[in-house]
Amino acid sequence: MTQLDRQGTSDPVAVPFTPGMRDNPEELALIPDEIAREHVVPPSDDPTPTEQFTEQWRNASYNCFSSGHKFCREVCPVTQVTRNESWTPTAFHANVVAMDKGELTIEDVAADYVNCTQCGACELRCPNSLFTGDFYRFRTRTVDVVKAVRAFAVDSGVHQPQWRTWNARTDERTHEPVLGDTPVSQDHVRDWSEGLDIPIGGETVLFVDCEAAFYRTSVPRAVAQVLQLAGYEFGLMGEQWCCGGPAAEMGYVDQAKRFAQHNLDNWRSTGTRRVLVLDPHDYISFTEDYPKYFGDDYDIEVVLVVELFAQLIREGRLTPSVPIERSITYHDPCRLNKRKGIWKEPREILRAIPGLDFKDVDRVTQWSYCSGGGGGLPVEKPDLTAAISANRIQKASALEVDTLVSACPWSERPLGEAGRSESIDVVDIHELLAESLGIVVGGSRGGADGADPSRVETANDEPVGKRGE
Amino acid sequence: MTLVAERLDELVTALRTVLRDEQILTSKPDRYNRARVPAPFPVHRWSERLPDLAVLPTSTEEVAGVVRIANELRVPVVPSDGGTGLTDGAVPLHGGIVLDVKRMNQIKELDLENRTVTVGTGINMLKLNEELARHGLFYPDDPASYPCSLVGGRIGTSGWSLIGARYGHTRDLVLSFDHVLPTGEVMHVGDGIGRKISKSSSGYQLKHLFMGHQGTLGVATEATLKLYPKPEAELSPFWAFDNYDDAYRCVGALARAGVATFAGAVLFDEWKVAYLRRDDEAYIPQPADVRALVCAVLYGYEDEVRVGGKRLFRIAKEHGARYLGDEISEGDWAARHDRYATPLHGRTKAGQVVPMSWHCEDAAVNYTNLPAVSKAWHEIVADLRRRTDVFDDWGMFAYTSADTGVDYLTEIDVGIWEQQLDDRAWEMWVKAKRDIAAVAIAHQGSISACHGSCREGEVDLVPEELGRGYGVMLDLKRTLDPNNIMNPGKYLLDQAYDGSQR
Repeated sequence: MTQLDRQGTSDPVAVPFTPGMRDNPEELALIPDEIAREHVVPPSDDPTPTEQFTEQWRNASYNCFSSGHKFCREVCPVTQVTRNESWTPTAFHANVVAMDKGELTIEDVAADYVNCTQCGACELRCPNSLFTGDFYRFRTRTVDVVKAVRAFAVDSGVHQPQWRTWNARTDERTHEPVLGDTPVSQDHVRDWSEGLDIPIGGETVLFVDCEAAFYRTSVPRAVAQVLQLAGYEFGLMGEQWCCGGPAAEMGYVDQAKRFAQHNLDNWRSTGTRRVLVLDPHDYISFTEDYPKYFGDDYDIEVVLVVELFAQLIREGRLTPSVPIERSITYHDPCRLNKRKGIWKEPREILRAIPGLDFKDVDRVTQWSYCSGGGGGLPVEKPDLTAAISANRIQKASALEVDTLVSACPWSERPLGEAGRSESIDVVDIHELLAESLGIVVGGSRGGADGADPSRVETANDEPVGKRGE
Repeated sequence: MTLVAERLDELVTALRTVLRDEQILTSKPDRYNRARVPAPFPVHRWSERLPDLAVLPTSTEEVAGVVRIANELRVPVVPSDGGTGLTDGAVPLHGGIVLDVKRMNQIKELDLENRTVTVGTGINMLKLNEELARHGLFYPDDPASYPCSLVGGRIGTSGWSLIGARYGHTRDLVLSFDHVLPTGEVMHVGDGIGRKISKSSSGYQLKHLFMGHQGTLGVATEATLKLYPKPEAELSPFWAFDNYDDAYRCVGALARAGVATFAGAVLFDEWKVAYLRRDDEAYIPQPADVRALVCAVLYGYEDEVRVGGKRLFRIAKEHGARYLGDEISEGDWAARHDRYATPLHGRTKAGQVVPMSWHCEDAAVNYTNLPAVSKAWHEIVADLRRRTDVFDDWGMFAYTSADTGVDYLTEIDVGIWEQQLDDRAWEMWVKAKRDIAAVAIAHQGSISACHGSCREGEVDLVPEELGRGYGVMLDLKRTLDPNNIMNPGKYLLDQAYDGSQR
């Protein structure tokens, strides 16, 4: 018996067809519909803020809700350590659908959205992105949804206590309070460069994120000295403020825009055309947030230092020659590997350093790795960050290496702390390269060797900036 | 949600004697996110499916404690693991406690000599296999949901594996497990009492009873699994045909060939090929005369796979197959978990792209009945499509279940535009499900090979399918769960309690 009898049917629905094909029978479009409405949700003349919000995100979230595969779950760093369905990428979309249906409110869901490092693993692992995304020009946008819900919460007056304090202090000091009680300020933002004789302003400036400028000062010192060795001209910003990215990630968008505006104005005032970035988080801010804020007016070239160094090595302008006897593995920073697809250049640099025993883990496996240091998580939930870092260090430990190399200053504090109990040293790739170029880096790696990772007391006496503990 | 505030307080207070506060979740989003599974869902009736709270136990003792309290207080318990099932097993119908065992995901013991691993049932198979790979081993339970479904759910639904023709299905791969009964007592169940015994003749064979019950008879908490050497070679040829009949005859011949490394074969019908043409990364550009596909899979050592593969290629050629080449074959098999179905492929008849959820209606059908069943199923879905664009036909697969080709997991994939669902559309769907199940029974099949059959529509026919056996189910349910605590409302089992619905 055959499955299909084509004889004697003139019904176009009775035979297989691919909707949308040019040669399909016209009748297919003319069949009256008993159910489907023209608008899934009828347009409203006077939409509530929630309606305005869900109108914008309805279909983006629906494409996850209706798929429901949950393939994202086991690659999500937060889910891996909490195993709580409410804190999974799919839940972040389902909540939007529930808000759209009037089942949940922003007050109900805001606190759940803390539990995301905005690493982007879920988007990559999503079958919608993986296989059909190109064809439909679609990409699952969980990170954007999380940022949008956090911003909607702040706009609605729903705050997370530590984030509010953190951003208020950042606003006050123009830098993030990464040293806890020890104040950070404009007066000290260039302290890390002491003795390096770097000019102010110029066509190219090096932007140093808050964590590196005040806490892990060995990173910018390494970067600056490598640039000097290669004869690459650069200066420092006239008045550098925080990039604004963390505020944007936590939902404080107006503040983020003010900070961005300041930095852009400052670059313009010193004739700067090009910004060198050593921190992946800044790289996201400057290549994704700033263009959104400023549109066509934004004409600054953004250069990632790790890519620049790989290029300088390729061109023979840098030749690491001092052997470094370490057994290492490399931690792909989420914002480079998962968000920006940058994974090759760091490996090029590491392979150019003599003496290293490099046990690499491929970039796709590393989709499920994270330090837990991003997206404001360590500010609001330091215990979760620590658990995620411990998880990452265990993977390194299984390779029997003595060193984990990262390319992200924000990952190095939590990873360093988790590494201590496993006797794994956490080193920045720029520091390692500098050392192999014979540079005595100086500065502080934070934590045990000098900087004061102390705490700041907030209104409710909860420690902030606990990453140093 | 069913409990009034005072009873909820009483329940939470009692649960705090066995769990930490952080393991008891009562917020609205916590409950909303445990009310649905990937199957189509009446979004407009979301609030009817809410639990009163969710708990996240971390040990068998904690699970037992929760169930004991629920039994004392007469509160429903709905076990949930990955929550990726397609028959709503983990969806609460009468509120109560969603008991989520996802945190019980540790590897407890790896026995390299006896080739077993003992795990908490909250572990995912892909994650488990990442660990086992270091020892050259693997656990071959391979559902479409392999990257996200968890061992406990596989036990509770008695899962079906894509490569089951070679390695068996969940029931064959799980040797034994700890199981919390509806009264809170803990039982070890397997072949005999041994943890690592694959065949025993001692006593009743209880293991099967405590698999596939959809959480109505308790909760599996720790399982001992059978392990195999990680296959050295994998061969997954895809062949094209210009008509369904040749493809159908070919898949039958491949499955009947008795090749030892044969792990399964899949038949894609003409609707499925038309569906795949919605995405140029799948089979297009394939010529228009490609109307059906067959894929076979062999796992084993390279030398044995090579020889077995030659035989299958010869059989395929005799049936008019055209080999699609190594790239498509390897790529599409590797992508089997991801390419299943995507909401992006949802389209109205006129071709507008709309977000649709994927639903797969499955049945177990003998080889000789595949054409008749698939013809009847497509007619049922065509009836839906004639009435509305809320439903879309995404084609059919037939997968071998066994190594002899006796029966097939037969599935029709239906796209459903949930944003448009209302009571009328939902009724149409429920009726269609009932009709689909009736076709399977009329062709001497079973309503489900894989998912279970406890959703609205299909479940109405379960007593008819099982006959006297359904009466035994009622008797067992009443005996083991005297207070109808475990997942009430599923499989019409409330009937076991003298019609006194909770």
